Amino acid sequence: MRVRLLYHTDLEAIKRVLAQKGIAFDPEPVMDHVFYMFEVEDCSRVTTHQLVRHRAVSYDQESQRFSAATREGMVTPPSVQSNETGSKAYDEALTAVYSAYERMVSAGVPKEDARYILPSAIKTKLVMTLNARSLMHLVWQRTALQAQWEIRELATTLHGLAREATPELWAKIIER
Amino acid sequence: MKVSLVWSSPYPEKTIAVAMRRCYSTKPIEDIEAELEQKGPEYWKYLLSKALQDKSLDVLEHFVLTLETEGAAEAEVGLLIRAFPYLRVTQLGQSDWLMTLNARTLVELWKDPRGNSFAEMVASELSRRGVCPIFSQLAFEVRTNAS
Repeated sequence: MRVRLLYHTDLEAIKRVLAQKGIAFDPEPVMDHVFYMFEVEDCSRVTTHQLVRHRAVSYDQESQRFSAATREGMVTPPSVQSNETGSKAYDEALTAVYSAYERMVSAGVPKEDARYILPSAIKTKLVMTLNARSLMHLVWQRTALQAQWEIRELATTLHGLAREATPELWAKIIER
Repeated sequence: MKVSLVWSSPYPEKTIAVAMRRCYSTKPIEDIEAELEQKGPEYWKYLLSKALQDKSLDVLEHFVLTLETEGAAEAEVGLLIRAFPYLRVTQLGQSDWLMTLNARTLVELWKDPRGNSFAEMVASELSRRGVCPIFSQLAFEVRTNAS
């Protein structure tokens, strides 16, 4: 998985307005006004199904209607990788599914219909824009120990990038 | 009422184009950015006009604006917030406000009688600052043609 911060609000510009009005900087109300745009590559659709449950976020995701699936473009969970029987079953299933997908597309089935057979393990790419308040909620929920490994990795990375970009807003939040 | 731009997303038209291309391309983001840079503003304009035409306004949500609004009564701002829930507002003084919205909300305000006069002021501030000439031309032309 790869995550890039494409832009973020210039916190200094907001602080200047507050200073002109004689208002002391307080992260709480400012969180609504500071936005981040991220690009995420090569996480699974399992994780993006979990991600889009955070609704106060703008998403645009690679469409399977138009882009073709590849056998290499699948995520394998560590628990499957480390399990000999599981790993063999996983690999056989993905090979069979991808082969059926390829046969359908070659036979003229539109990609948008052939994709019905694709697994949630498939890798995807997306851009997402959200404010600091929504991101904090996401980080709080998805870095919890109960969260699944892949979205925890994503939430931890998003948190790290946002904290580096606007440290003053993230001073108080503690990752779980 | 006076509206001043505090901050906006850098390269708004290119940012919207990145979001659009992300939906249809399997390439890494750097390749999409290089492609958009190479094809230039005419191509960003083509993509944006297609999004507006198809009413695929979700891509506009990646262009974000923060404004300082002075001389707006609480009742007036309250009406805007109730009608447009994605408008983020913080009170700075009795009639002064910090407002953040995205370009989709701006287009929706523009088309709605409850938000149109505020959107007109934002559009004129954007035009004065030369922030997003392609977006302004296309987004605000849509309404002119429709009315």
